[in-house]
Amino acid sequence: MARHRDEYEDEMEEEEEYDPDQAIDEDDEEEEEEERGGGRRRPSQKRRRSDFIDDVAEEDDDEEEEEYGEDDEAYGGGGASRKRKNKRPSGSQFLDIEAEVDTDEEEEDEEGDDDFIADNAPDLPEEEDGRRMRHRPLMQEDEQEDLEEIERNLQERYGKSSHREYDEDTTDVDQQALLPSVRDPKLWMVKCAIGREREVAVCLMQKYIDKPELQIRSVIALDHLKNYVYVEADKEAHVREACKGLRNIFGQKIMLVPIREMTDVLSVESKAIDLSRDTWVRMKSGTYKGDLAQVADVDNVRQRVTVKLIPRIDLQALANKMDGREVVRTKAFVPPPRLLNIEEARELHILGDRKQDRMTGDYYQTINGMMFKDGFLYKAVSIKSISTQNIHPTFDELEKFRKPSENGDGDVASLSTLFSNRKKGHFLKGDAVIVVKGDLKNLKGWVEKVEEETVHIRPEMKELPKTLAINEKELCKYFEPGNHVKVVSGTQEGATGMVVKVEQHVLIILSDVTKEHIRVFADDVVESSEVTSGITRIGAYELHDLVLLDNNSFGVIIRVESEAFQVLKGVPDRPEVALVKLREVKCKIEKSFPVEVKYKHKVSVKDVVRVIDGPCEGKQGPVQHIYRGVLFIFDRHHLEHAGFICVKSHNCALVGGSRANGDRNGNSNSRYDHLRTPPRVPQSPNRFSRGGPPSNYGGRNRGGRGHDGLVGTTVKIRQGAYKGYRGRVVEVKGPNVRVELESQMKVVTVDRNCISDNVAVTTPYRDTSRYGMGSETPMHPSRTPLHPYMTPMRDAAATPIHDGMRTPMRDRAWNPYAPMSPARDNWEEGNPASWGASPQYQPGSPPSRAYEAPTPGSGWANTPGGNYSEAGTPRDSSSAYANAPSPYLPSTPGGQPMTPNSASYLPGTPGGQPMTPGTGGLDMLSPVIGGDSEGPWFLPDILVSVHSSGEETTGVVREVLPDGSCRVAIGSGGNGETIIALPNEMEAVVPKKSDKIKIMGGSLRGATGKLIGVDGTDGIVKVDDTLDVKILDLAILSKLAQS
Amino acid sequence: MFFHIVLERNMQLHPRHFGRNLRENLVSKLMKDVEGTCSGQHGFVVAITGIENIGKGMIRDGTGFVSFPIKYQCVVFRPFKGEILEAVVTMVNKMGFFAEAGPVQIFVSNHLIPDDMEFQTGDMPNYTTSDGSVKIQKDSEVRLKIIGTRVDATEIFCIGTIKDDFLGVINDPTTA
Repeated sequence: MARHRDEYEDEMEEEEEYDPDQAIDEDDEEEEEEERGGGRRRPSQKRRRSDFIDDVAEEDDDEEEEEYGEDDEAYGGGGASRKRKNKRPSGSQFLDIEAEVDTDEEEEDEEGDDDFIADNAPDLPEEEDGRRMRHRPLMQEDEQEDLEEIERNLQERYGKSSHREYDEDTTDVDQQALLPSVRDPKLWMVKCAIGREREVAVCLMQKYIDKPELQIRSVIALDHLKNYVYVEADKEAHVREACKGLRNIFGQKIMLVPIREMTDVLSVESKAIDLSRDTWVRMKSGTYKGDLAQVADVDNVRQRVTVKLIPRIDLQALANKMDGREVVRTKAFVPPPRLLNIEEARELHILGDRKQDRMTGDYYQTINGMMFKDGFLYKAVSIKSISTQNIHPTFDELEKFRKPSENGDGDVASLSTLFSNRKKGHFLKGDAVIVVKGDLKNLKGWVEKVEEETVHIRPEMKELPKTLAINEKELCKYFEPGNHVKVVSGTQEGATGMVVKVEQHVLIILSDVTKEHIRVFADDVVESSEVTSGITRIGAYELHDLVLLDNNSFGVIIRVESEAFQVLKGVPDRPEVALVKLREVKCKIEKSFPVEVKYKHKVSVKDVVRVIDGPCEGKQGPVQHIYRGVLFIFDRHHLEHAGFICVKSHNCALVGGSRANGDRNGNSNSRYDHLRTPPRVPQSPNRFSRGGPPSNYGGRNRGGRGHDGLVGTTVKIRQGAYKGYRGRVVEVKGPNVRVELESQMKVVTVDRNCISDNVAVTTPYRDTSRYGMGSETPMHPSRTPLHPYMTPMRDAAATPIHDGMRTPMRDRAWNPYAPMSPARDNWEEGNPASWGASPQYQPGSPPSRAYEAPTPGSGWANTPGGNYSEAGTPRDSSSAYANAPSPYLPSTPGGQPMTPNSASYLPGTPGGQPMTPGTGGLDMLSPVIGGDSEGPWFLPDILVSVHSSGEETTGVVREVLPDGSCRVAIGSGGNGETIIALPNEMEAVVPKKSDKIKIMGGSLRGATGKLIGVDGTDGIVKVDDTLDVKILDLAILSKLAQS
Repeated sequence: MFFHIVLERNMQLHPRHFGRNLRENLVSKLMKDVEGTCSGQHGFVVAITGIENIGKGMIRDGTGFVSFPIKYQCVVFRPFKGEILEAVVTMVNKMGFFAEAGPVQIFVSNHLIPDDMEFQTGDMPNYTTSDGSVKIQKDSEVRLKIIGTRVDATEIFCIGTIKDDFLGVINDPTTA
């Protein structure tokens, strides 16, 4: 409906346009009419001289005819109209520049119009005559009546036309009829000079006007086609004739455009660059690359635009240049954008001329060939050197463009141009929208459906149709003050807040977190109930984290920007905010120790304190962070710095009770102190550089849980009937613990001494050396006697051990030079003696101690502080280490039948990996343990080739041992001697067609079948049990030994 | 808006509170737990006015705690969009001012303050009309209309306006 209305409007406009022409060219027309020699015209002309009324009537008629003429021309010309055109020496109708840049839609519209006119054309002249005869007497009688009559006529005509269009939507068939046929003139492609296409077209037009005998119909120059113009003519000879003597045309080669392609020539895939004044664009190149510019003038013919820019001019350099002095060119330096200040320029003796623009009458200041006005630079550039699509000026940029004299209104008004070239698809069903342009302006509604450019909306007004189709450009998202919204694009992306004010396209939002106003475009916003402050984290750091910075300063992140943090530095009593890049942040400080405040109260995190001294006096709030005697307090009434206040601890007083003084936390605090103080002292600086969770992380957790620290942890049972099972500790009952087994759905009670809780748990893909440690279990028996004296140490050391277990490994992962590495090497070599020599690794190094940690019973709660240091002494650990080599003894009592060769302990051997001996009791077949990363896991009865000690033999796997190695019977029949082979020494024998196979991986793992075909790397397998035929990767198939 | 409604809650009581005063203990604990809290649905619980019913206590395995379902009457306060409230200004800054109506914090942006009122910096930042007759500063009482609410787990935050008829300062601390 909207479209029809538009068309109607268009027509009205056309009419209006013609009117003045009519008046001016009246004489022309008279001549024309005379030439045409219509007999009936002559009397009317005479009468026109004498009778004003008649004149009007006449004009009306003329107009009508004129219109038909025009339309015919547009249609492509019937013979009659063509003739008339020839006689009238006006070139305007030949130059159809508009058509070239038109959108398809408009073209369609035009075609629609043509259609209508063409259909009506035959019967109109009669009607006209009749009307003329009927009406003339009336007109003479009464002017008033006449006017009414005219009005009625108009109504009749246009009312009808719009009505006609209603029921006559151009169908495909009609469109087809418009396609060129063999009888129509042809299109010829003519080569011309590059860049002169338009010029050529105009020349040809001029030539046509000068010499009407030329038999070409039209000339088309396409913007996107260089080097060619199209000429419409019936014969090639006509084209040649027309091109003769034009210097920019290379007329040797004239190509015929096939009929089928003719439509393509004119159906231009136009980018619809809607370049009009005040459009915002960006410069693509040069000094101003990326700068925002506003279109001041568009010259479509020359493809140039004049843009308004904020000048980037180095006045000093300019002055030097104008004085003829040497200009030192510094390439890298691009002057910052700044409005030109004429006074300043004058001081530097830069004098410009004041010139008036002929077209606009505006005055410009011209300096060195550059035009300035109001401090802005006006620059003529090629259309190609600016980008017009998806320009999203930020508010800062727009602010600068605002003239000092102008208030906000002008700015906001020009904002509407922002939306003309915006990107598509930002309307979603259900969005509240408002119409900002056209007849339906200010109509509110909800988006129902979004098509390409049209958005169907359900209007708010009941009287209107259910849905209206409206062009996307005429719509804007609609918000009301009080709506809670989220910004989804732009610089403020991610922020949420409540709409405080709506200024057309611009919303003012009160951010939820910062309680500040943000200005955003309505298009960038969606309604949301979520509450965020925009991005809240970069990397490992989150808003409100306490972080350690480069220069050993620290602070709280109070705002996260796109690439940096705003950090409130830990400088008491003076708010110091720094912008910190991610790489300048060393690590997050997670720990915080209770600190003493006024009146000897201890304050820990979350306690409420009041500042009783210093500039922040009177502020009150919960402590968020404590570090180096500095408190970070969060006061919700404090609006700056996201509510954070940084104060010295002794300037604060505790309000209410301290949470830390609660029951068991209080106890644990005292324990923390001695445990955690050391890392705080910068004696071990590399701790900080590690980043990530500080090493004492695990320790704290453990300590916090106190006596029941074990509950909830995953443990492995080391001894007894359930040996090797893993499970979660449900409860600790005196010397026993109840463990919920992972593999069997039951809870068993085992002795506390029989579990080990540092189980590598969960992930089978652990660092290899880790598993090496795991595989040491067999040594335990031999070490049991040691336990008694190790107990005290072990208890206290429980925490550091964990540190050791983790952190050094981490180090190893990235930093081969980390202190841990030499120790590890030594260990690999099985040279325990060297351990003692490197005392500083004590807390971390001894892997075996990890096992002892959980052997609890002996009170692993409150251990006296002294123990800690004890643990660190080389003597103790070396004693532990003296025992460490025991696993390497070939015959470990109670050991699994693995009697391992030490090779299996080398990191990297897969044998060491998922199968820690402790898990020996677990289901060996479980595919999870098999680990996909490991490739196929061997199964009993499969044929393998073993290549140990240089020779290769075939064997049959008889048994898979817990550590991954296999007991293999040599010989293809499996009747030779039995050896133990490591997985990396074995390879499954690839089956051939019609071999019996066993599936080593996937869901069918363990199943047997027959290989009935091979296709590339896939094997086609008939599974024995189900008789299904499956296609499986050959790599997981292995040949079954004949039995 | 205030409502007088009946709410229900399961209270866990430590065994040491059992005895003659069980009921009192339960009620005082309930008051301690509930009064001043905020829920999105009901708003702030201002006060408990009575106990409707205390259900049978259930002893929890393992802990010995007893949980009682309690129905209680309470006064809740929940601000609504469009509601007119009277509030006390707590802070004034260039972006607007904050006011409190009981537990609810309301922000009135400078865009929602009548255009003739200008921000004046200084010791006592305030918004003043050009003729100085009306002044909004800390501790002023204002009547405002809520235009938006945001309900968090622990607080309700509102945005208000005084740019409407009959809104604005109702009591000035300096003149009073």
